[in-house]
Amino acid sequence: MEKVKLKLLYSDLKPELDMIEKELEQAVDSESLLLNDASLHLLQAGGKRIRPVFVLLAGKFGNYNIDVMKQVAVPLELIHMASLVHDDVIDDSETRRGKPTVKAEWNNSVAMYTGDFILARALEYISEIDSPKLHHILSKTMIEVCRGEIIQIEDKYKLDQNLRDYLRRIKRKTALLISSSCELGALVSGTDEKTAAHLRRFGYFIGMSFQIIDDILDFTSTDEELGKPAGSDFIQGNITLPILCARKNPEVYSLLKNNLGKELTEPERLHIVKTVRDSTAIDEAKAISERYLQKALEELAYLPKGNANKTMRKIAFFIGKRKF
Amino acid sequence: MNEQLIHSKITSMEIDVLRAVKQRTLEKFTEGPSVERARLFFLLLPYFDEKHWSGEIEASAKTVSIVYAALHAHDQVKENASATKKQQLTVLAGDFYSGIYYQMLANLNNITMIQRLATAIIKVSEKKASFHDGLDRTTAELDRSVQQIETELLATFYNFYGFDHYTPLATLMLSYIRYKDELECLQGGSETRIIRSLNETLQHPLHTERWLLEKLDNLHDQISLTINSYNFNYDLKNFMLHQITPHQHRAEQLTREG
Repeated sequence: MEKVKLKLLYSDLKPELDMIEKELEQAVDSESLLLNDASLHLLQAGGKRIRPVFVLLAGKFGNYNIDVMKQVAVPLELIHMASLVHDDVIDDSETRRGKPTVKAEWNNSVAMYTGDFILARALEYISEIDSPKLHHILSKTMIEVCRGEIIQIEDKYKLDQNLRDYLRRIKRKTALLISSSCELGALVSGTDEKTAAHLRRFGYFIGMSFQIIDDILDFTSTDEELGKPAGSDFIQGNITLPILCARKNPEVYSLLKNNLGKELTEPERLHIVKTVRDSTAIDEAKAISERYLQKALEELAYLPKGNANKTMRKIAFFIGKRKF
Repeated sequence: MNEQLIHSKITSMEIDVLRAVKQRTLEKFTEGPSVERARLFFLLLPYFDEKHWSGEIEASAKTVSIVYAALHAHDQVKENASATKKQQLTVLAGDFYSGIYYQMLANLNNITMIQRLATAIIKVSEKKASFHDGLDRTTAELDRSVQQIETELLATFYNFYGFDHYTPLATLMLSYIRYKDELECLQGGSETRIIRSLNETLQHPLHTERWLLEKLDNLHDQISLTINSYNFNYDLKNFMLHQITPHQHRAEQLTREG
């Protein structure tokens, strides 16, 4: 339902997004039936397609040509998909968006080859664009995203990490790819550098807000809404913002400390989720997300008014208030 | 170029590649990047053979080596094992190395090579996946997949820089090395995807062992024949035959013994 609402916000882009959806299907076409099935399985599980949306919207601030824009929008979504299929191996996830993951449906090896295949398709596709700057930005982003994930594993189960560690991690994990989507959309549509910088920063702030909300929802949503048990981040040892805020209370701190890394029973898990949910942590985390959202909106104020600006603003508000 | 100089050049390249992909956490918790000396040798073969060589070609050769390391890391992920820290970081190691190779080629402004290598990775991934699709395959089909997995990236590099004539020999020698490793695994009691597929096709591990031994003899004969069609100097040829693919005829021995 929420996803439908989000899609309504960018319904103006529907014809272009339908075209991109078709291109994505073509892009994962493979002579290997197995890779074809696994990639389509992933693709058909759906998604918000927020990265292509930001590429297209950023392009509206320059000389918008869908044939050029899709050369960036498609590979960025493919890169995101490739990372998801590998993330499911890392997290040992059985379901994603309510459907079995590639690793659950087949096995880890097939998930690895599927991710490699999709990533290679993305690079094959984007290297049609002969822009060294674009490739510098994207390759740097890819490396930073990986660094973020490596740090996330390093930081697992470390309850005493600080807020800066968390923010740096989510910047790499989520915000950078959204930021690059905006920047690359601006770049290929030939906007001036100032506009591109505002768009890049907008993407960064919105990406930060998006990830914080995601981390909040892990505690405030139901298992059904999430398609996985609430509190999964804590169970996996990922110390997210709600946990960092909740631990300030000594009693909650002890509860978290004593259960971190433990095989939790169902009542224990529900108790932890309820404790965090009922604490002030959710409101504190929301306030930090809101600050990023405001910064994103400030960036939009520097950009020319028009439909793209309006849609970006609506998406920003939606992200700040989304329920899952 | 004598043996010592060849070794020294390979080592120097190995150090460069390892430096390019160095990452503290990955180094600590994973097996580290696989940079096989035999592969480095083939990437440097035009240089050893005194063909036109440049800093740009050598940098590209390094990126090919990094792609191999990326794909190899993902081969190490256990098929059905749960996510240990080592396994998690091995997944990320492969992705990290992929980012590095892309960045290196982007820094060289070699966008065409990015595309050509991406196409090669697609083919390699498709062939690797074929060992998991459960379809019946002949040994000839399996052999073709192994050849492509082992040489597609190298062949792409050769083709890009006009060194195609080395591809047939490299294909034979890299296949030889792969099958030799597979034989060692089989004889050591471990089962790889290739061995499993061969066992399924040939229906018994003993038949697989026999097939591998014959394959190695056959490849060796082809290597001996093919290598003479190149104008390699004595040292280089000697290095290839004795250091890269040293061989002992074993299929005949097995027949006599068994």
